[in-house]
Amino acid sequence: MALQTGPITLDTLKRGLKSGIDVTWQLAKVMIPIYFIVTLLKHTPILGAIAQVFAPLMGFFGLPGEAALVLVLGNLVNLYAAIGAIVSLSLSLKEIAILAIMLSFCHSLPVETALAKKIGLSAISVIAVRMALAVLSGLAFNILL
Amino acid sequence: MLEALKEAAVGSIQSIKQIAIIVIPIMLVMEILKDMGLLDRIADWFSPVVRIFGMRKESAFPLVIGIIIGLSYGAGIIFKAAKENKLSKKDLYLITYFLVAAHAVFEDTAIFAALGVSAVLLLATRLAVAAMFTFLASKVIKETEKEVNL
Repeated sequence: MALQTGPITLDTLKRGLKSGIDVTWQLAKVMIPIYFIVTLLKHTPILGAIAQVFAPLMGFFGLPGEAALVLVLGNLVNLYAAIGAIVSLSLSLKEIAILAIMLSFCHSLPVETALAKKIGLSAISVIAVRMALAVLSGLAFNILL
Repeated sequence: MLEALKEAAVGSIQSIKQIAIIVIPIMLVMEILKDMGLLDRIADWFSPVVRIFGMRKESAFPLVIGIIIGLSYGAGIIFKAAKENKLSKKDLYLITYFLVAAHAVFEDTAIFAALGVSAVLLLATRLAVAAMFTFLASKVIKETEKEVNL
């Protein structure tokens, strides 16, 4: 098996540019609405209430309570939604690093679990593995960073 | 209220600009490497490496492509390889476990790096942990080789 390869032409650059713009567009499409929603929530008591409820749980990972919003969006929607929430909340670099490693292992569960299931793995074991890796790496980054 | 809307408009556009500056060049470089045939060569280099997981050497190609390009593209190649009977069920499961933990690693890392997180730290942790988990899984699945229902 091999990918199609060929000489580097203008076409290569065009395709590369297109895929870069595609990623940016996918990101913008999801990120902008999330950014608006979270920013508006910040000006209401709702975000504070969410933060308070999740503060004890998020505390294990060295994260503020509102970081729960980032993890939920990343897992139920995709990484772009999580990024939208990260940049609209005021988080420290360490907190962003912890969220980044947790989300790297575990994100977009509906779509990606369906793919793994198609290949023959059980949905529960895939989700359990990914969540376990996210939790362990989050705890480790909080201690080590 | 108007203040919040302004904050969101300016903030979101700035963030997208910040990410685009990093992501677009990376995707461009990946496309060039793909056309240079570098991905195929990397897959070749990995043929001996996948033996550590007890996989056949044909597993290297879907694994490397999935890690670099992404899960959905990787899954397509996995299906193709499975149809051509090049992979055992165990190989298939191990590749998929590795890939659910680590796929599209350059794209994801670039996005987080644009926010200031160390790219090396993220990439190294993700690949090392996925490899360790796959190694463990390869031992567990071996014990029940006849019944590969994980």
